[in-house]
Amino acid sequence: MTTAPDLGPGDYPLSVNRQDLLRTPTGKPLSALTMDAVVAGEITAEDLRISAETLQLQAALAESVHRRQLAQNFRRAAELTAVPDAEVLAMYNALRPRASSREALISIAENLESKYHATVCGALVREAAEVYERRDLLAREED
Amino acid sequence: MTAPAAERSLTLEEVGQAQRGSRPDEVVIAVSPAFADPFTKTIVEVPHAEVIRQILAGIEEQGVHARMIKVWDTADLAAVAHIGARLSGSGISVGLLSRGTTMIHQRDLPRLSNLELFPQSPLLDAEVFRLIGSNAAQYAKGESPAPVPTRNDQMARPRWQAKAALLHLKEYECIVAGRRPVEVEPVISRLS
Amino acid sequence: MTTTEGRRSKRTEILEARPVNLDGFVEEWPEKGLVAMESDFDPTPSVRVEDGRIVELDGRARADFDFMDTFIADHALDVETAEEVNAIPSIEIARMLVDPRATRDEVIAVGRGLTPAKILDVVKLMNVVEIMMAMQKMRARRTPANQAHSTSAKDNPIQVAADAAEGALRGFAELETTLGVVRYAPLVAIALQVGGQVGRGGVLTQCALEEATELELGMRGITAYAETISVYGTESVFVDGDDTPWSKTFLAGAYASRGIKMRFTSGTGSEVQMGNAEGRSMLYLEIRCILMAKGAGVQGLQNGSISCIGVPGAVPGGIRAVAAENLIASWMDLECASGNDQSFSHSSMRRVSRALPQLLPGTDFVCSGYSGVPNADNMFAGSNFDVEDYDDWNTIQRDLQVDGGLRHVREPEILQVREKAARALQAVFAELDLPPITDAEVEAAVYAHGSGDYPDRDVLEDLKGAQAVMDRGVTGLDLVKALERTGFHEVAENLLTVLRQRVSGDLLQTSAILTDDFVPLSAINDANDYGGPGSGYRLEGERWEQLKKLRHVTSAENPETEVS
Repeated sequence: MTTAPDLGPGDYPLSVNRQDLLRTPTGKPLSALTMDAVVAGEITAEDLRISAETLQLQAALAESVHRRQLAQNFRRAAELTAVPDAEVLAMYNALRPRASSREALISIAENLESKYHATVCGALVREAAEVYERRDLLAREED
Repeated sequence: MTAPAAERSLTLEEVGQAQRGSRPDEVVIAVSPAFADPFTKTIVEVPHAEVIRQILAGIEEQGVHARMIKVWDTADLAAVAHIGARLSGSGISVGLLSRGTTMIHQRDLPRLSNLELFPQSPLLDAEVFRLIGSNAAQYAKGESPAPVPTRNDQMARPRWQAKAALLHLKEYECIVAGRRPVEVEPVISRLS
Repeated sequence: MTTTEGRRSKRTEILEARPVNLDGFVEEWPEKGLVAMESDFDPTPSVRVEDGRIVELDGRARADFDFMDTFIADHALDVETAEEVNAIPSIEIARMLVDPRATRDEVIAVGRGLTPAKILDVVKLMNVVEIMMAMQKMRARRTPANQAHSTSAKDNPIQVAADAAEGALRGFAELETTLGVVRYAPLVAIALQVGGQVGRGGVLTQCALEEATELELGMRGITAYAETISVYGTESVFVDGDDTPWSKTFLAGAYASRGIKMRFTSGTGSEVQMGNAEGRSMLYLEIRCILMAKGAGVQGLQNGSISCIGVPGAVPGGIRAVAAENLIASWMDLECASGNDQSFSHSSMRRVSRALPQLLPGTDFVCSGYSGVPNADNMFAGSNFDVEDYDDWNTIQRDLQVDGGLRHVREPEILQVREKAARALQAVFAELDLPPITDAEVEAAVYAHGSGDYPDRDVLEDLKGAQAVMDRGVTGLDLVKALERTGFHEVAENLLTVLRQRVSGDLLQTSAILTDDFVPLSAINDANDYGGPGSGYRLEGERWEQLKKLRHVTSAENPETEVS
């Protein structure tokens, strides 16, 4: 995995100034996403998504303008690009009040960390488990 | 909106702790902690006696039985209605807050979902309550009635939102945490 | 008090009949939180840091933190600077906010470590003019913009498309829709997406639904951003809303992972309206929401009471508190979509005065929902402004020389884009094998005002079509292809360009919108550099010439005619 280059505000917007750095999750450059290509059937919905690498670039841009929480959101997002839609939704629902036991939440965290290498997301879920326990927001027996 | 023909009062006489119903042809009417006492009318001054009278009439017209409970430990409409639904033999309930906000709920639905929701309490009059009772009874019979039509009033919020908040705060104060729902017998008597 | 038998003053009768007296007003009840921002029951600011952690926040020790305190302490505040900045006298910070010579960056740096009660303490020292002065400097994006609703009382997709096109032409940068019947969503969202690309290029669209469905539509590229992701100021109300700061933070990451712009929504009055403000003032609780949003790492926030506006609107100083909450969001370096989107008064005078604190200084989105359809068709239960206010709005812009994001457009241009939008949607529906749109419906769309001016559609067939859209997995790319195949090359290209932006993530940055030329414009490349007179965004030059135009302006060259 290459490290993110040193980006600053002058590089934004990437779609105008740094197209060289941008790739679709399927490996295509932005310049390949033309109407002709669409009409020829060469472009699919998967080509119109954001890649983990690009999210790390946007995180670097956010850091460069001192928006550290926004950058952290982008890092979580970069990790979640690997997780299928249905599973993302299931994880979200599991984080709602009294939706999960502590074990279920830890299991989600472990899944994120081991299967998807999503350590930032995993940490968020572990933190939730700890807070929910303290605030009586884990699933109860009778629910 | 016409005035009721005669003034009526509503007393909810406690019968005992609310139990799960066994008859499949019943609708449970679940009311919030301040309903009928200390509040006696909705936000637009429809008397609670009239509200209940109309809902009961709507249910009865469909040949279905009605049972009433008062919920004490919450003033959240979805929670009130869902508690009623879980106690209802048919699984169908009508939930009511004192200011008039109403919901038809079903026991297998998620708490935050519902069969029909009537969120704008100022727009509910006697006629609508009767239709709500009728629809609830039809759901209890396993039918699929067309939802009760309601008006959409863009000016309801400027006019009533703050008063509704105030009424809600007052209702909230009547909550008795941990007290289980009570079955009640509605006694409607003429005042004149 | 005079008796009811006595003579009534004629003047009193006239005043009684004024629209403003139909609005609801209540007395304050500070113990219950029914108070705007001046309450003895709000906590005293305090913060203590130990070993790099906040162990006390506004009088509460960590052991007693609820989950809002925990989240704010661990994610929102800058631990390194917290003790230092909270010790700065509030009057000094308030003056920094107002003084044009203190830069936005300087003020933000101080703000990063402040506790909720300290922030409240600061803004309590500011009157509404000072709040507006600060807002001018603190909004994130230099150029103000505006957002509209496009909905239909009958969930009619053609109406939504035609009004979206007109709204885009008039200048809205974002468009929002919602449904009466939720199952109609796919068709209406498609209509908004297509219509929004006809008026001008680069408009971003959203469809307000429950969380999971909204995310799904976004994932498919049928919508471009999301906004109605609500957060609340007390733990109890947040839980009643079936979420926590952690679940919402995760959801924020989910959206970003699909390249979809999003912001949270909060607003004064929601907690007291739901029955449990825990004895805190409306603004104090809203500040907690703002900090929670900051901690989650979302780029922006829709606030300004929003659907609860009737509550602060009913108490003294409520609209001042609303102005303050917009300012605070901007001070916390978040994009602010600043309300003015919900019906709040019967009085036209009050509707305008409520909006001045956002319109005059400018915000990222002066309205987070100007109704781009008549209010009777507004499925958000009515907005503060609707289509019938367009000429008044444009006149106020011209009167005061302020840019509220809109401009006057002449009728022929409007009719042209409305027709194009309806034709484009007709073509898309035909290509996708959806229930047809007739030529009569297209004709109606051109000249219509409200949903009553359109032929009724076969709703059951539409709902089947909507389900088919979901079952068949129709995506934004399919819309592009359909538009291209049927000859709507420009609209197709516009939509493809919007979708292509997902790949770059440029629209994920703070306050990002697209210009007419599809260039991302955000707080990064359009940073607010306001520093006093003669600086920052000024309504001048070509844009000012545009905003001088109204429906009827007498020509100076030939006073017997009007400027065309």
